[in-house]
Amino acid sequence: MQELLGRIARLDPSASLGLRVIACFDELMVGNVNTRALLAAAASLAGCVAGFHSETPARTVRIDPRGHHAADVRPEVDPAFQQDASDGLTVWLERNGERQPNDAIVLERLALAVRMRHGRGRESDHRRDLSLLLDPEVDVQARCVSAITLGLRPGTRYRVVCAPLFAVWPEHPQGPEDVVATRFGAIHALVLPASAHEVAAVPSGVGVATEVEDLHHSFRTALVALRLCDPPAVGSVLADDFGGLIGLLADAPDGSFQPDVALVDAVMAYPWGAETLSSVVRSHSLRQAAREAGVHHSTMQSRLETVNATLGFDPFEGYGRTRLGTAYLVWRLRHSRVLDLPAPIATP
Amino acid sequence: MTAEVQPVARPPFDAELRAGLAVVGGMFPPTITPDLIDFMRVSYAAPPIEDLLLAKGIVCTDDVVVAPDGHEVAVSVLRPKDAPGERPGVVYAHSGGLMFGDRFSGIDLVLDWVSDFGAVLVTVEYRLAPEHPHPYPFDDMYAALEAAASRAGDWGLRRDRLVVAGASAGGGLAAGLALAARDRNGPVLRGQVLDYPMLDDRGSTASTHQFDGIGVWDRVSNETGWTALLGDARGTEAVSEYAAPARARDLSGLPPAFIDVGAAEIFRDEAIAYADGIWRAGGDAELHVWSGAFHACDIFAAHTSVGRAMIRARNDWVERIIAD
Repeated sequence: MQELLGRIARLDPSASLGLRVIACFDELMVGNVNTRALLAAAASLAGCVAGFHSETPARTVRIDPRGHHAADVRPEVDPAFQQDASDGLTVWLERNGERQPNDAIVLERLALAVRMRHGRGRESDHRRDLSLLLDPEVDVQARCVSAITLGLRPGTRYRVVCAPLFAVWPEHPQGPEDVVATRFGAIHALVLPASAHEVAAVPSGVGVATEVEDLHHSFRTALVALRLCDPPAVGSVLADDFGGLIGLLADAPDGSFQPDVALVDAVMAYPWGAETLSSVVRSHSLRQAAREAGVHHSTMQSRLETVNATLGFDPFEGYGRTRLGTAYLVWRLRHSRVLDLPAPIATP
Repeated sequence: MTAEVQPVARPPFDAELRAGLAVVGGMFPPTITPDLIDFMRVSYAAPPIEDLLLAKGIVCTDDVVVAPDGHEVAVSVLRPKDAPGERPGVVYAHSGGLMFGDRFSGIDLVLDWVSDFGAVLVTVEYRLAPEHPHPYPFDDMYAALEAAASRAGDWGLRRDRLVVAGASAGGGLAAGLALAARDRNGPVLRGQVLDYPMLDDRGSTASTHQFDGIGVWDRVSNETGWTALLGDARGTEAVSEYAAPARARDLSGLPPAFIDVGAAEIFRDEAIAYADGIWRAGGDAELHVWSGAFHACDIFAAHTSVGRAMIRARNDWVERIIAD
């Protein structure tokens, strides 16, 4: 996989390979794989033999980048490529020559994963501070401790930004960041001051501003905002633009029964459906919707007759506006592909 | 139409392979639409292999073969440097969805056959879709197969021990070569190695629809690939069985087949059906369906337990067929 990391770096020089290494080991820890598998991943990522030694029981394992037991004799290992993984456990990389960019992170994550696999302190939560801070199930005191560890100040307001690992960052703002496991897979989360309304990353979602004890809520709204992205047209979405609505969306169960969403689905089946609804939810009148969509108002009028008949309500009347707006956002979330596709990269 | 979203039931990925996807996804996205073909041509281009060949004691000679339309197809003949005389031969079709990759893509695994079993490998720069739809890729491969038989002496091959092999899109091409060699009384083959082969343009199997947006090579990627190869003919009765071997009505009289595929990939059902068709016709096939495996996971994550098992099983079969 070292060669794959090299390709990713060539395709996107701004890519954070460290985050991918972390996500890789996170999956290995969740999967509770054995020592050989952990060493194989480390060796494959580093492109050299990875080793493990335990004092009791006395055991040494050395695995090469193809996942096989190294056949040769264990060389002298440079202490710079060795890491203590807790009492009596050591891991190392058998690197000849220069330190490579990912060596430190590979060693650090390997050591942590080995410690967990060997049951050293398995009772406690091994997740890193940012994951704890963003998890509402974690006790509020523990979350505040994590916040302080990360250098965040209680009483100050921050926002969480979410992006997939493949996001493109023309410039990378400074703040605590990490890979966080979600039901959409590994997501890159970054904490910024409340004043950071815009982020250049594509795709990305910027959560609402909260104090540290509510940053889990900011994270959930950022995740919804991210899923509302539609690159290249919409590269980054700010949760604030949807006010309290995005909080409701963030807390609604995924498969919840939403009859209005099925009605939106029916409108979307028309070739003009997507364009029409997208302009209606952003307009206060038929005429404005026609302008937004760039069609003649009589065309919009006949489309709206079909829309009203399909929905069973008028999207410009009273609660009809709210119903359509909400159902439209839920529909977009359910059809979101932003986490499946890479940001297109201009080829040389 | 229902208002509730039913999650798709699908077999899980193996834990080590799921970890591998955290890296693989950065250069090989699950969903490849036509606008990503240029990206993939850069991303999936093979790295330089000189060092690898040196380490494995393999000599590489470039040559050309002439396709039916006069196009000169580049091939590389890879042989063990200390094995003189005529050696068993493998004609190899690389992976890359028929649209990207080159003759050295994913070659590491096949080089084991050269270094460990003394085979000579002929790997072929077949032309790529959509610029070159069917029959160009197939014709280029068949020209290379015929050359391997007719120029066996020049290339140091044993004509009585030829095998065709390919991975993914190349697996489909290799299956097509075996069908055509039978139908045309072409070169006699001792075996066909079909790694997670791309066989069926119809996209109607259950496994085709189980992996949207995850892993490597989903339903949309597959539609992109088949459309590039077949254009509007995709899914119609006009499609040749040499382009989509799943359409072959007669699977009798074929050389022994080795077929492997992941349980967690879209080609699972078509690979199983092809092996089943060969058995029903009285032929010889060995089929491996690997639990937890995504498409081509042995190429991307050879270090994993599943990847190693796939490589070992395949190499054991190849050794049986071609080793002295």
